[in-house]
Amino acid sequence: MKRLSPVLLVLMAVLLVTACKPPATPAADKLAEVLARGTLIVSTDPAYPPQSELVEGAQRLANTKCAADQRTANELSGFDIEVTKEVARRLGVEACFVTPAWDLIVAGSWADRWDISIGSMTITRPRMEKLYFSQPYYTTPAAFFVHKDNTTFQKPSDLSGKRIGFGTATTYEYYLEGILEIPGETFEVVVQNPVLKPYDTDLFALQDLALGDGVRLDAVLTAQPTGASAIADGLPIKQLGDPVFFEYLAAAVDKAAGKDPVPLIKKVSEIILQMHADGTLAKLSQQFYGLDLASPAAGFDLNALKQW
Amino acid sequence: MEATNASIPPESDPDLAVGLALVRKARRIRLIETVKLGIVWLVLLALLTAGLLQLRISPQYAFQHAGFVLRGVGTTIGVSVVSILIASGLALFGALGRLSRNPIAQGVSGLYISVIRGTPLLIQVYFIYLGLPQIGQQLKELGYPQLAEIFTLGAIEAGILALSLNYGAYMTEIFRAGLQAVGHGQYEAAAALGMTRWQMLRRIILPQAIRIIIPDVGNQFIAMQKDSALVSIMGVWEITFRANRLARKDAKFIEMLLVAAIIYWILTVVSSWLQSRLEKRMAHAYER
Repeated sequence: MKRLSPVLLVLMAVLLVTACKPPATPAADKLAEVLARGTLIVSTDPAYPPQSELVEGAQRLANTKCAADQRTANELSGFDIEVTKEVARRLGVEACFVTPAWDLIVAGSWADRWDISIGSMTITRPRMEKLYFSQPYYTTPAAFFVHKDNTTFQKPSDLSGKRIGFGTATTYEYYLEGILEIPGETFEVVVQNPVLKPYDTDLFALQDLALGDGVRLDAVLTAQPTGASAIADGLPIKQLGDPVFFEYLAAAVDKAAGKDPVPLIKKVSEIILQMHADGTLAKLSQQFYGLDLASPAAGFDLNALKQW
Repeated sequence: MEATNASIPPESDPDLAVGLALVRKARRIRLIETVKLGIVWLVLLALLTAGLLQLRISPQYAFQHAGFVLRGVGTTIGVSVVSILIASGLALFGALGRLSRNPIAQGVSGLYISVIRGTPLLIQVYFIYLGLPQIGQQLKELGYPQLAEIFTLGAIEAGILALSLNYGAYMTEIFRAGLQAVGHGQYEAAAALGMTRWQMLRRIILPQAIRIIIPDVGNQFIAMQKDSALVSIMGVWEITFRANRLARKDAKFIEMLLVAAIIYWILTVVSSWLQSRLEKRMAHAYER
């Protein structure tokens, strides 16, 4: 054979590469794999402060077990990151981070590039087709806000038939339309026949509410932290009664993972329940949001999701 | 003779004096042109800066945080250089396929160019990152676990593959034009010397075609440096990722986007300069 055809050369190169790969050590499931590796590879998109943001000028941890294309714990910060570090600590492993865009995380089929998402992901039915969810570690409570000067509304049900603002295509819209479904939770819609006033974002609705009591809106339904930060920014509004429903934010694993991910997500759920019980999550929530958003997630019945 | 020659100073030779004067004049004209061009650039840059200062931005913030974005320059350059090298290889084979009379080679390169040029780079990135591993999973179930690992690319590898495939398709036409520009006599002469097709290509055709190909490849490289920003969606910390995520942190979008834009621009200026030097070198043999 005087000369090799290029096709043959490429084939030989491929065979060489495959032959050189060390045989994968057989671990029974994802949890065993994580424990054997000594690192928990977590996806987080540092585009969402205060959940996850990057730390400028941080140096990589010195004696880390994280791979070269992964980030060490000190290169990121935020509520999700603190929760992740604590979960990894209680698993007895080091937390390593990868930062794919959010839509790559919720798409599922991670190809075992990372083990778990701890990224404030709301539990929804469509996502449950691709992912297994853990016990939620905190919530986004939905609450009504009214103008500060209002005295006629005492509780959310007083808003029946009133003009209520909300962001379009949000869970708040679906709630007011009576079509909201939250996996694992049952709730009743306390406001009957509201006049729906959709806005591009909740913030514009809050601005209109701030114009005066009943000027353009009687109330706004939005996330409790959103309303709270608007109040902190000086908007003359107040929260009306307790939150009317909760969205649950949890860790998630890929159903299509190479090794059975159920033991891992069960173990993480156990750890999250411990962190609820000893007040770790409530404390972290206070630190990052100024509110206890964690406690309502402690009582969530994970078995009601019937995931496995 | 020698003595008389030495005794006459060069200035006294009227022809030489005229020639030197002409050279001096030409040099002066060139200098004046350069200065004029420089002034135009300065004025335009001043106008651009004045325009940018009208944006409600904090220049201090941009300056203070440029360092963090700059740390992504290596990744951007690395991804671009590796991708342009692989793309050049693909383009060479693509062009040979196009020019070949073999129906398989023609068909493969024709479909490759058509599919890749007919779809957006962003969608190609998603397919390679999300789609390939799923094919790998199927192969694994068929009993080829090593192949499954090859199909599961990391973020940087997936980005390089997408950029290489994409630019390879566009550059195929550049390579085809380069190969065709070499005179037919060269092919005939090489064949007359008894060279095989590979020898002909390597020793006679490519060295001449490269000179025509290089400027366009340089152009593609400059374009690729900006397209490499797409790897940021897979979480590679290059220039765009760093600028965007830092902007999110402090809600300073225009500042950080401006920093990224300026860095890309400087990269492009440097690349253009390198490209012109390379072109000059390549053209040496053809200069009079």
